[in-house]
Amino acid sequence: MSITAINEQLLRAIGVGVALVRQRDLQFVFFNQSFAEWFGTPDPETRLDQVLEGLDVEMLKEQGEGALRFSSEITIKRKRRTLIFAVNISGADETGEPLLVVECQNITRIRELESMIDSYSTMVERNTRELEREKDRVERLLLNLMPRSVYEEFKTFGVVTPQLYQDVSVVMLDFVNFTDFASRTDPTVTLSELNDIFTAFDRIVEQYGCERIKTIGDAYLAVSGMPRPTPDHASSVAHCAIRFLRYLERRNQSHPHKWQARIGLASGAAVGSVVGIQKYVYDVFGPAVNLAARLQVYAHPMKIAAPLTMEDALLDEFDVKRIGSADLKGIGEVELINVVGEHPSAKRAGKSIF
Amino acid sequence: MSQTLYDKYGGFKTVSRIVMTFYDLVLDSDEVGGFFEDVDLPRLVDHQTKFISSLLGGPVSFNDDRLLAVHRTLDIGHADFDFISNLLCEALEAHGMSEADIKTTLAAVDSKRHVIVTTS
Repeated sequence: MSITAINEQLLRAIGVGVALVRQRDLQFVFFNQSFAEWFGTPDPETRLDQVLEGLDVEMLKEQGEGALRFSSEITIKRKRRTLIFAVNISGADETGEPLLVVECQNITRIRELESMIDSYSTMVERNTRELEREKDRVERLLLNLMPRSVYEEFKTFGVVTPQLYQDVSVVMLDFVNFTDFASRTDPTVTLSELNDIFTAFDRIVEQYGCERIKTIGDAYLAVSGMPRPTPDHASSVAHCAIRFLRYLERRNQSHPHKWQARIGLASGAAVGSVVGIQKYVYDVFGPAVNLAARLQVYAHPMKIAAPLTMEDALLDEFDVKRIGSADLKGIGEVELINVVGEHPSAKRAGKSIF
Repeated sequence: MSQTLYDKYGGFKTVSRIVMTFYDLVLDSDEVGGFFEDVDLPRLVDHQTKFISSLLGGPVSFNDDRLLAVHRTLDIGHADFDFISNLLCEALEAHGMSEADIKTTLAAVDSKRHVIVTTS
């Protein structure tokens, strides 16, 4: 078999529709099996544009002779299927008579798969957006449980290394006769009262750049100076304490239950860490926390108790009163002060450390 | 959380093949192909991809309103519904789904019968 014959057999057998037409009248010289299957067997007088409906013949003529190269896409309906073909036409005149080589590739399946990928992408993208939203919700929830910097560490490493902060101040508040109130009031009322008050405290704490660590029943614990160091941590917690009491006083004027609180302040070292593996709680431990807790018990209703060691840090902004010493369980003899009020000049409108 | 059939059979990789087979089967069928006469290609593929993904528990919500909207005008009878269910069964078999899982899937399809069949 000659090379030409082999070539011709190959042309007939391949899955690409191939036809040769004369450039001058667009009539067929050759077509292979695939071409005939898709577009029918052309008669000798049939022109290319009659077989490939929708083909822009004018464009073809405009191309002129020489390096003719033309690409197009045609759509035909076979039974109920829409078939899409990519058509490539190129010029050839090796036989003396200028011919056009027409190649048709069935790209229907490619188009179908493209549609499917589009459809799938839409599904996946929507799901991704939902997951993003879910992630934001989880993040907001975790940020309620721990400071942002601790959360970032937790997110990156999966654990939080306990960290010692040398200079922090703690404010701890507890209500007078809370157990009594809770026992004679509907629990939902108790909860809504606490919720109301603690939400207000949270806003105050935020205003002074402190972190609320936790509430334990009716006790409220916030710190300043961790996880971000703050030079004026002592005065920050004192400002919070004064505003806690002022808020309660104002609230008591218009509410049936008159809340009375005791507040303890302390400065010193504390360790902060996430406690637990399944149930994360960010907590603080250390001498400053213990002392504030003890002083809060010791304080009189609606008074703020602090150790004398804090006096120096508070004198510039607050009125303080020395109240002698007390023997505190587990701590020993401690000289104490009461934070009575703010100096008029020190009534800052709150500062942002962000 | 139990694994969905969608994940069990390899996710979209397999679903895409099931969809393509099912698509060919319904279009080539003279009994029911007529329903798809005027549906354009991207829309039909999109519909089937989402429908089959949702049947198998894939990442898509495909509610009955949508099913009702696309089938409402087609006058589909119970016999047509059964016929297409069989084609789907064939497509699922062709891609190696176990008998029990095919049964589960077809039961899920059958639960949509009232939405798809529109002739009383």
